[in-house]
This record gives sequence, C-alpha cells and structure tokens, in this order.
Amino acid sequence: MFFQQILNGVTVGGVYALIALGYTMVYGILELINFAHGEIYMIGAYLGIIFIGIFTVIGLTQYSIPLAILLSFILSALFCSAYGFTIEKLAYKPLRKAPRLSPLISAIGVSIFLQNYVMLTQGATDKVFPHILETTKIEFFNLTITTLQVFIIITSLLLTGLLHLYVMKTKTGKAMRAVAQDKVMASLLGINIDRIISVTFIIGSGLAAVAGMMVAMYYGLVNYSIGYIAGIKAFAAAVLGGIGSIPGAMLGGFILGIVESLAASYLSSEYKDAYAFVILIIILLIKPRGLLGKSQ
Amino acid sequence: MYRKFLLILLILLVFSGCAKKSDVIKVGIAGPMTGDQAKMGMDFRNAVTVAVEEWNEKGGILGKKIELIIGDDQRDPKQAVAVANKFVNQDVVGVIGHFNSSCSIPASDIYNRAGIPMITPASTNPQLTDRGYKGVFRVCGRDDQQGNVAAQFVTSKLKVKKIAIIHDKTTYGQGLADEFKKAIGSSAEVVYYGGIVQGDKDFKTVLTVIKTKQPELIFFGGIYPEGGLLVKQAREIALKTPFMSGDGVIDPKFIEIAGAKDAEGTYLTFSPDPNNIPTAKAFIENYQKKFGELGPYSIYAYDAINIMLKAIESAGTTDGKVIIDKLYSMEFSGALGKIKFDNKGDVTIAPYVVWITKGGKFIEYWKP
Repeated sequence: MFFQQILNGVTVGGVYALIALGYTMVYGILELINFAHGEIYMIGAYLGIIFIGIFTVIGLTQYSIPLAILLSFILSALFCSAYGFTIEKLAYKPLRKAPRLSPLISAIGVSIFLQNYVMLTQGATDKVFPHILETTKIEFFNLTITTLQVFIIITSLLLTGLLHLYVMKTKTGKAMRAVAQDKVMASLLGINIDRIISVTFIIGSGLAAVAGMMVAMYYGLVNYSIGYIAGIKAFAAAVLGGIGSIPGAMLGGFILGIVESLAASYLSSEYKDAYAFVILIIILLIKPRGLLGKSQ
Repeated sequence: MYRKFLLILLILLVFSGCAKKSDVIKVGIAGPMTGDQAKMGMDFRNAVTVAVEEWNEKGGILGKKIELIIGDDQRDPKQAVAVANKFVNQDVVGVIGHFNSSCSIPASDIYNRAGIPMITPASTNPQLTDRGYKGVFRVCGRDDQQGNVAAQFVTSKLKVKKIAIIHDKTTYGQGLADEFKKAIGSSAEVVYYGGIVQGDKDFKTVLTVIKTKQPELIFFGGIYPEGGLLVKQAREIALKTPFMSGDGVIDPKFIEIAGAKDAEGTYLTFSPDPNNIPTAKAFIENYQKKFGELGPYSIYAYDAINIMLKAIESAGTTDGKVIIDKLYSMEFSGALGKIKFDNKGDVTIAPYVVWITKGGKFIEYWKP
C-alpha cells in the first residue's frame, strides 16, 4: 500500500508542481504573489473541455483521439497564455511603481473576477470531461497505475526540465535571471523588462493550462471553484521548495503530493487539505527560505 | 421640527410596509441555486413554480396572488442563516426548503423563533425534527429509516460480511453513514469507517487504504459529485467492490461523472419511482412540458408547496401559529399519495426502496 500511495501522491504532486512553476517565476521576477494564477489553471481545464467538445463536433476525435487531445492541450495553453499576458498588462503593469500591497490586492481582485466570470459564462454546475479516452490500467508488483497517471507524471517532469533548460541556456532565459536579480541594472544593459515580464506570464500561464487540462482528464470533473484550493496548495509547494527556484517548485510539488497522500492514508483522510499547510509551517520554521531557496 | 419630521417619516415607512404586505402572500423557497449543487436548487424552484402557477390561475389564496421569494443558500450553512433572516424580514408566510440538512437545521432555528412554518422536501437528517421545534416539517423520509432499509438490503439480499463506510463529513452524509452503521450492528463487520472532504476531487488515497481491507461492499453517505468520483477512481485502482449510497447520489450527473460502465450495478436507497405512482401523473406531465426531465426531488418540492398552501387556505389567515396547527392536524393528498405529519413533523409513512444503476439509468430494484 505504501508504494501505491506514493504513486498517487506523485501524480497529484506533478500537477501541483506545474502550477507552482507559475507562482515561482512571477515571484522571482516581480516579487508578486500572483493570486490569479489558480484561476488560470481552472480556465485551462474549462478550455480543455471546450476544445475537446469542438473536436468531437467536427469529427476529429473519430479520426485520431491522441491528435485531438494534443491539439486541445496546445490551444488551451495558447489561450491561457493570452489570459496571463492580458492580466499582467491590465492589472499589474499600471501598479508596478505602487507599494507592494497594491498589485497583491489587484491580484486577488482578478482572481475573484475570473471565478465569477467563468461561473456566469459556463454555469455553476460541475462540467464533466467527455469519456473519450479509455483508461488502461497497468499492474505490476501489486501496484496499479493508469496510463493517464504515467502521462501526468512524465509531462510534468518533462515540462519542468524544459523550462529549467530554457531559463539556464537561452538568451531570454538569461535575461529573465538578470531581471530577477536587479531590474534597474538589467534595463541599463539594454534588456527590455516589459518584454521579459510578459514572457514570464505567458510561460507560467501556459504551464498552468496544461496542469488544468490534465486534471480535467484525470478526475473528469471541473467547476469554477477548483482554482482556489489548487492555487493555494501550489503556492505552498512553491514556498516549500524555495520561492523563485524552478527545481524547488518541482520538488515542493512532489513532496506536497506525497506527504498529503501518505498522511491521508496513515493518519486520517478527513483533514487531507490541512497536511499541506502543516508541512509548510514546519519547513518555514526550520528553513525560512524553503528547501532550495537561495540565502540572501 | 426635525424630530417631528422623522416621526412622520417613520410612521409612513410602517404604513408603506403594511400596504405592501397585504398585496400578495409570500412564500419562500430556499436551496442551493448556485454552486455545485445548483441543479437540486433549480429542481426545487421549477417544481414550486409549477405549483404556484396552478394556484394563481385558480385565483391565488385567501383572495391574493402568491409570490415566490427565492433564497440561494449555496449549500453553505452560513448562507442558509442569511437566507432565513432575509425571509423573516420580508414577512414570508411559509418556507419550502432547504435542500441540505446542514442548511435546514440552522435555518430552522430562525424560522422557529419567527413562528414561520417550514417544510423541507429533501433534508433527511433525524436531528432536524428531533429537537422538538413546532413548525418544522419534511415530506421526505429520515436517514434512520433510510439507513435501516440499506442495512436490511445489505444483510439479507447481498449477504456481505465486510463493509467499508465513507462519508463526506456533512450533517447529511455522516448522519446517513452513522445510521447505516448502527443498523448493520453486528450482522457484518465494518472494516473501514472514515470521512472525505466535500469538494475534493482526489479520493485515490482513501480508496487505496480501503482496498487493503478487502471489503465486500463500500457504503457512501454523501452527494453525487463525490459519489461519482469515488466509483470512477475505485475502478481505476482495480477496486471492484459493489458500491452503495443514499438518496444524495440519485442524479444523472452521478452516472455521467462515474461513466456508465463504472456506475453499472451501483445501489442506492431512495423513495419509489414517481413514474409508478398514479397520483403523480398529472404533475409529471405538467412539469415535463415546462422544464423537461424531473429531478429526484421535484415531486417532493411540489407536494411540500401544495401542503403549505392548503394549510394556509384552511387556516384562513397568514398567522404562522394557526398554519402550523393545521399542518399537524390535516391529512393531505398530494402527487406522492396521502401525506400526514406525526407530532414531530415527519411523515407517518416513509417508503424507501433500493435502486440499481443499469445501462446508464436508475431502476427500482428491491423492496424491503
């Protein structure tokens, strides 16, 4: 049972990790906790359902289901990137010189707005992801894992790896790191700060959209309020791993998922949501900058 | 001068209040109109609308038109209390609602204090009517009756020996699970008993624990979104144990969430199929013409409002006390058949049967 619970935890952890990346990147550059990020994830889940619906109507799912799902992922990520880009331009950029609390309040406002916007346009009831994909179980050593779980774990690891490479190896990535270290100096050296910030929001939102659509496929159920708790937990994961650090966000996500899973099975499942925050408090007491956070 | 003016203004306000009060008879309808259980609230609202339209066509009640006041409790007990206070302030004569037991119970405190009768079409927790309040009624059954029927079915028909029980920690879900556990007694072993969080989507951890206990049946006390996910995720981890739950799960969404294939063969306790009740035929036709398919509690909401209106009519007044007396003493014939309340406010006959999911539909399956 122990290993089965680890498997369950890693799957959920992969999703937390993907959302946590968005928090950590934005915090690294703007020192802003983007509370609207959980909502982007929720919108990603809805868009996934909408695109799969469209592809079913035009008959693409009959032709090739994997292609339809892949296209839905890409489109949903693109749309969410547009959301992220727009939110930054409308709600955060005008406040860049304001006191730090102002953009934070603006972020909470955006979060409330997006939740209600989705509730009004998509309805308040749960939306069910169409059962187009037959889940196959893989059984080995008394463990059961579905192909979808494998897909989630691999995708989240792969995307985190790619992001890490992007930030470490490319020119834009280098610019991002420079802006994170010192905005004024970076702009003096000819880095277009607005562009870098936009890129950060675009990448973070795209990753959240992927996480959202994976969750929609995995649980098969989506409603307008899923972004809140997922966002808070991913934020906890980001802080746990060391906010601002990309490998840290991934580590934090997986730790959170596994701890939650094990605590729910060996202690009590009734307080499942509380364990994430208990871990967060313990880590903050021992290592205030998180597991992989840089000391100042 | 200023003080006099204020006094006149106050008197005017009082009169304007009175003038409005006598125009119509207000009846409150409360339930989750938005949120993840919004469908249940809408079912209430639609059924009550059908009834009120019928009454108003016949000229209303006590010579006045009936006006519906809708209260959205979002399945949240705090919100339910706010709705109850709103109803009291708006001089509602009677209340139909709420849906969740966890909302009906705190709201009933307020109705009781204000002397307003309430009839719930769906709250089945025993506590609601066990606290000795005058004026709290329900047209549905009670969880102890429901738990008994479920236990009878499990021990005499399925003959299982090891049972796992899950609940969603709400008044309704945990109440039903507890009643079921009590009714099972020593005739089967309860190998697992635990709660999940309502609104959560990931139950694989709980199910993995349950799998190691090898139960022959999983009983769930809760509502359909969690019910559907539990069934789906149980099958995903190759836990093929039969699944049983109560009336909170009987909604087409349950099958949609679990998938028709995985939902196949799940049991639930509920009242008999209204399509087999001859007195319900007229209502069903009328409802389907206006709103489409009936919800599981539409017919209860319809009977609840009719009973309330009949009691007001025979009371001949909007005084809550007289209406409540009438509700206790009268016998009503509604779409569900004859309904009479006992001195607690429960229906004297509460028939529960076991349903099964077959081919993506709920079918009546077993009678105690």
